[in-house]
Amino acid sequence: MGLLFILIIPLAAAALSLVSADRRFAPAITIAGALAVLVLALKTAFTVIKAGEIIAIADWVSCNSLSALILLLVAFVSLTAAVFSWGYIEVHTGPDNVKKIQRYYIRFNLFVFSMLAVVLFSQVALVWVAVELTTLMSVFLVSFDNTRQALEAAWKYVVLTCMGAAFALLGILLLYWAMKGAGGKTFTWEELTAVSQGINPKILKTAFIFILIGFGTKVGLVPMHTWLPDAHSQAPSPVCALLSGVETTTILYVILRLLPILNVSPSIHASEWFLVSGLVSVGAAAFLLIQVKDYKRLFAFSTVEHMGIIMVAVGLGGSAAHLGATYQILSHAITKSLCFFAAGTTLLIVGTREISSVRGLIRTSPIAGGAFLIGGLAIAGAPPFAVFLSEFAILRAGIAGGHYIAITLLGIFILMAFAAVMFHVNRMVFGKPPEDMVKVALPKTAIISLTMALVPVIVLGLYIPDSLYKLLRLAAASLGR
Amino acid sequence: MTGRIVINLLQVIVVMAFSPLVKGVLSRLEAMVQSKRGPCIFQPYRDIWKLLHKEEVVSEQTSWIFRITPYVVFITPIFVTLLIPVLTNYPLFFAFMGDMLGGGFILALGGFFATIAAIDTGNPYGPMGASRTRMVGFLAEPVFMIVFFTVSLVAGSTIPYIVQEAWITPLSNFFEPSHVLVMLAFFMLIIAEAGRLPVDNPSGHFELAMIDESKLLEYSGRGAALMKWGGAMKFFVLLCIFLNVLVSPWGLAAGTGLPEVFMAIPLVLVKIFVFILFMVIIESSLAKLRLFRIPEFLGAAFITSIAAMIMYIF
Amino acid sequence: MTVSSLTQLNALTGGLFLLSTFGIIAMRQILGCLKMFVLQSIFLAISALLLGYLHQSIHLFAVAAITLLVKPTLIPYLLQRTVGNEVTARREISQLINIPTSLLVAVGLTIVSYFVATPLLSAAGGTTAGVNLPIGIACLLLGAYTVTVRREALPQIIGILTMENGAFFAGISIAPDLPLIAELSAAFDVLVIALVMGILTRKIHERMGSTTVSDLKTLKEV
Repeated sequence: MGLLFILIIPLAAAALSLVSADRRFAPAITIAGALAVLVLALKTAFTVIKAGEIIAIADWVSCNSLSALILLLVAFVSLTAAVFSWGYIEVHTGPDNVKKIQRYYIRFNLFVFSMLAVVLFSQVALVWVAVELTTLMSVFLVSFDNTRQALEAAWKYVVLTCMGAAFALLGILLLYWAMKGAGGKTFTWEELTAVSQGINPKILKTAFIFILIGFGTKVGLVPMHTWLPDAHSQAPSPVCALLSGVETTTILYVILRLLPILNVSPSIHASEWFLVSGLVSVGAAAFLLIQVKDYKRLFAFSTVEHMGIIMVAVGLGGSAAHLGATYQILSHAITKSLCFFAAGTTLLIVGTREISSVRGLIRTSPIAGGAFLIGGLAIAGAPPFAVFLSEFAILRAGIAGGHYIAITLLGIFILMAFAAVMFHVNRMVFGKPPEDMVKVALPKTAIISLTMALVPVIVLGLYIPDSLYKLLRLAAASLGR
Repeated sequence: MTGRIVINLLQVIVVMAFSPLVKGVLSRLEAMVQSKRGPCIFQPYRDIWKLLHKEEVVSEQTSWIFRITPYVVFITPIFVTLLIPVLTNYPLFFAFMGDMLGGGFILALGGFFATIAAIDTGNPYGPMGASRTRMVGFLAEPVFMIVFFTVSLVAGSTIPYIVQEAWITPLSNFFEPSHVLVMLAFFMLIIAEAGRLPVDNPSGHFELAMIDESKLLEYSGRGAALMKWGGAMKFFVLLCIFLNVLVSPWGLAAGTGLPEVFMAIPLVLVKIFVFILFMVIIESSLAKLRLFRIPEFLGAAFITSIAAMIMYIF
Repeated sequence: MTVSSLTQLNALTGGLFLLSTFGIIAMRQILGCLKMFVLQSIFLAISALLLGYLHQSIHLFAVAAITLLVKPTLIPYLLQRTVGNEVTARREISQLINIPTSLLVAVGLTIVSYFVATPLLSAAGGTTAGVNLPIGIACLLLGAYTVTVRREALPQIIGILTMENGAFFAGISIAPDLPLIAELSAAFDVLVIALVMGILTRKIHERMGSTTVSDLKTLKEV
């Protein structure tokens, strides 16, 4: 029943956001909802660690270890984003624009619902619908500022991802065809895995390529990534945190669920596909990171890079690399949300997205500057943060598996990205601030949310709780060999 | 044997006799659809009769090409008539001489002569019309080819009699997608070839707006009569190929008896008139295109024929 | 009716479906594109009906009913309501590649899709999918092509809806007994796509004064 509540709560919060005309009501109900979802998600995760897969409604709603991991991340980031939104959106729209604030929270909750649905649905056709909903529910969040740039970003976002979704739809229908041919009954992940021995590899391969192109567009794999930096930079910062931190991961999860089915027939060369598309993404992102002019785009390109790293880790194969992949999923989500919160706070203070016009951030505002520095260091992969450990784990697993060329390339690209991110962050955080910088009081909720996001980034770099490690192990095991 | 020769000649006579009528009905129907009264349906006969009795004036500047062209334009549809099913659904005496491809080339020969004769006159409107005709022609050519290839692929032959057999045995073949698409492509082709849809108004008298008609401007007397008649016969022959081979291979005489063959004449004419009505309605309900849109129209026909081909092959 | 003639009729519907997809590429005016889309959706519904009769499948009848309800009626209505007069404006859509060339590209894409589909069909040994699968893939690719070359918002929306139509056209033959809830929510999804993109188009129109979305290119590096 817990799983159903997880799905119902955001919907209820969206409906309730409409109720009161008070400007505090909608954010409060959203935060309460997100908190409830997080508690339920934690409970679900513990149950999964102890007892394995949970099935709420047979063939429709279920949760395995990988879903539990993503569920946890979505719940956590949506809570911090909801907290961050309170002050940010109020400053952004002006406190009197209650209608606009309400609209924001309705969309926010619906967007969170769609992401939770992707993870919890086990009926693959419904998963597609949920993926499509993540786009449709977040379009107006991206275009929330209603500026020319925001509309442009939203348009590119919706057109490209809907095109991708259509490709993925065909892929999923082909998958269904292949499953029927192998004697499967219901179109669920479990059934697919169960009959994977008998699935015709030719059809499966075509289905996989269609799905990889389709959902790869949403994940932001190069060369389908063109919408990602636009949408992830133009949306309001808490939405960016959701988009970049967990939405990409949520869609990647769908591709990852295919992995055990694909690995059955070696003629598909699934790991090679993962490896190559991942390396291309990491490499392109590393070069693009050097020449960004906008610090939100900096973090957006870093998302492309990290998605690529996860793909490479999955493509390397073997339990160590898979563990690295799940760890990377975890560390990327928590770190990237912190980065976007820091970017949002910076935007509130300096009022511009241009890297070149921000100097001496840490003197203008120690909180924003400090958070930006930590976020930048953490996402670039500096020790002792979580991303460093996960990237290190992946590189080590790759060397142990003998993938020397791929690992060399990956290492070079990661170092390039590290240098690029640090170069930009350094210029922004240190130096002499411009004379005419006005002091802006930060909303309290922004500080709370930054602290909330900061805790796991720092803690998980030093120490992983046993139960979380178990969950990561289980999730890695669910990826197959 | 002689029976077959007789029927074959009868076919020629039918084409010669009824083609002006088809033209007349067409312009009458067109006028009626546009809520005008329009000329009498026998007007083309009167025109041809009148022109035949007038003196012919030929420019001194022209060469022999100008003089023989009316005869070529007049003869070529008659040749084609010998090859195709106009009244019967079995091959007649001269049908061995050529297939549909051959027929197409013979018709194209007439068009070729009309074009160079138009250039021959030195009248500025002639070459203009000729070049426009060629433009339509060279765009229509590939469509013709693909249609014929598809048709012959399906039937395994380019002989029209075998083709019409293949489309309707069994009857469900008639609804084969490639067949429907081929019909569509050929229909668009007929409209373009007959100068009906794209830009042309065949009944107009404004030289700049003409495609086909401006080639006739320099002809007078017997030459003009033959050109007009030849044009009408070409149209009739195209309709016969379209209707009798591709669209409705019914109503043709199956036996060799003369009464049966005579019965086929009104049936074929009815088919043609129904089709003309259909065409006039479509033509009048669509806006004329600008000249540079013709490539798009024929491009659409080309796509349709290619689609037919693809659907058959795979 | 016999199985063979039903299959034949379905093949014919497939051919007309493909032609209407070509029509979407060939049309110069938005209204023409929309009409072609409506026609295409109707052919989709007819094909679903024929296959439903062939497979004795209630699901496909339901799919046909949903399709008829949503695509030829609700979607044009929604676009009209959200975007307004842009739909019926009688002006030419500007595009990157001219129409004759586009049509040639379209033929190329169709041939490619047959090459993609043929090995799959021979692998599965299906019969009725023989028409629907390649044409569905072709329609998917042609829709993607439409989105790429058309420079205005509405034709791009129609292109995306065309892609979905293509996927569904393949789907009714290869996945005839997908759960009804999935079909329903997919149809709902398509409706939401039209709604969301329509509203977005209106916002762009309000902000920019035109719907030529390819002029939106301020966001880029350097």
